[in-house]
Amino acid sequence: MTLLPRRGVLLAGLGLLAARPTLAQQIDPARATGFIKVTGEELVAAINGGIGSVADRRARVAAILRRSVDVEGVGRFILGRWWRTASAEQQAEYLKLFEEVLIRNLSARFGEYQGVRFTLGRSQARTEEDVLVSTLVERPGSPGFGLDWRVAEVGSQPKIVDVIAEGTSLRLTTRSEYSSVITRGGSNVAALLTAMRQQIAQLVSREGG
Amino acid sequence: MSPHPVPRRRRAIPTLFAAAGLLALANCAARPDPGDAEAVAEFRATNDPIEPWNRGMFAVNDGLDVLILRPAAEAYRIFLPPEVRTAIRNILGNLRTPVILVNDLLQGETQRAAATAGRFVVNTTLGVGGIFDAATRWGLLGHTEDFGQTLAVWGLREGPYLFIPVLGPSNPRDLAGAGVGVATDPFTWIGGDAFQVFTISRTATSALDTRESLIESLDAMRSSSLDPYAVLRSAYRQRRAVEIVNRGTEPTAATGTGFGVGTGIQGPPR
Repeated sequence: MTLLPRRGVLLAGLGLLAARPTLAQQIDPARATGFIKVTGEELVAAINGGIGSVADRRARVAAILRRSVDVEGVGRFILGRWWRTASAEQQAEYLKLFEEVLIRNLSARFGEYQGVRFTLGRSQARTEEDVLVSTLVERPGSPGFGLDWRVAEVGSQPKIVDVIAEGTSLRLTTRSEYSSVITRGGSNVAALLTAMRQQIAQLVSREGG
Repeated sequence: MSPHPVPRRRRAIPTLFAAAGLLALANCAARPDPGDAEAVAEFRATNDPIEPWNRGMFAVNDGLDVLILRPAAEAYRIFLPPEVRTAIRNILGNLRTPVILVNDLLQGETQRAAATAGRFVVNTTLGVGGIFDAATRWGLLGHTEDFGQTLAVWGLREGPYLFIPVLGPSNPRDLAGAGVGVATDPFTWIGGDAFQVFTISRTATSALDTRESLIESLDAMRSSSLDPYAVLRSAYRQRRAVEIVNRGTEPTAATGTGFGVGTGIQGPPR
C-alpha cells in the first residue's frame, strides 16, 4: 500500500510546520479542561493564600507556571523563522532567557490579582493540535474578563501553549514583538538576546531581587 | 479618540494623509528582500508597509502622552472619586448607544440590536439619563459596535496599518468608519452654542475616561515590552478581529473609545 508512506510524509511535514522537538499529540477536550481547572485552582490558591510577602506569592505562582507551561515549545513558536538562523548557543541562551522573562512577567501580572476568582467558560474549541479552554477571571469590584488557555499534549502531559486575554494571544503578540526587535537589530538574533538580558536586569531590580 | 473632532482637526486630517503618503513613498526601503519568502510572508502578515512613518507618529504620540494625556488621566483619577468616574463612564456609554444600535442593524444582528435598544431605554429612564447601568443589573449586557466593524462585516478589508497620534492604532477602514460614526451621531447635528459646549466636553471626557482606563495596561505594556510599537500593533489587530466576529468576552458599551480607533488593549473594566 502506498497509503502508509504517504501518511508518514504528511506527518513529517506537519512536524516540520509545527517546528517542535516533539510532535504534539491530539488532546482530549475533557482532559484539557480538567487540567486548566486544576491549574487554575492552584494559581488562585497561590495568589490568594495570605501567607508570605508579595515575593513569596510570586515564587509560588512561578513554580506552578514552570511546570504547567510548555516553555520550550512556546519559546520556539515565538522565535519562529529566526530559530533556524540562530546558532546552537544562541538557541540555548534564548530558551533560558525566554523562560526567565515569561515566568517573571506572568507571575508579576498574576501576582497582582489578589482576591481573584475564576470560572470555567462554556466553550471549548479544538484544533488539530490543541484545545482552547475559556475561563472567566473576576476580581473584587470589577466585572470579569475572558482568559482563554490553549492546551496541547506535550510529552504525554497536558501543557499550556498559549494564553489569550480578551482575544489577544500572548504567543502571537510576543512573536510580533521579538521579530520586530530582531529585524530592527539588523536581522540578528543577538539583538534580541541583548534586549532580553537588559529586560531581565530591569525586572530583577524592580522586584528587588 | 472621540466622535467629535473640532473643525481644525477636520482640516488637518487630509494634510496628514498627504504627508503620510509622501513619507510612505520615501520609506519603501523598509520592504524585505523579495528573495526571502519567509520575510516577505511576514511583511505581508504584519500589514504595516508605512512602518517608518507610523513609528514616527508613535513617537509623537509618546511625547504627547508623557506631557499631556497620561498626566491629565492621572489627575482625572485623583480628583474624581470612583463612583463619579463610573457614572461618567456610564453616561458616555449610554450616549454612544444610538450609533451602536445603527451598526447592530446594519450588520443584521437583530438580537444584539434589541439588547442595545433595551439598554438605551432602561438606562435613560431607570438609570437616570445613563448615570446608572441598570440594564446590566437586569442581565441586559452591553457590547460595542462601530462603523469600522460594519464595513468589515460587509467585506471591506482593513488596508494598511496606521498609527495616529492621540487616536492610536487604526487603519483606513476603521478611520473611515470613525468618520461615519461622527456623521451619524445625532448629537453631532444638534446646533446651538450650548450643544457646542456639550460636544466639546463630551469629546474631552471620553478621551480622559479612555486614557484613565488604560493607565495600568499601557504602563505594564511599556515596562514589559521590548518593542511597545510592535506589541500594540499586534494587539490592536487581534483585538479588532475578535470584535468584528463578535466572539469572546466583549468590553461593555461603556469602555473604550467605542469607535475602533484607539486601543488594542482592554483596560480593566470597572
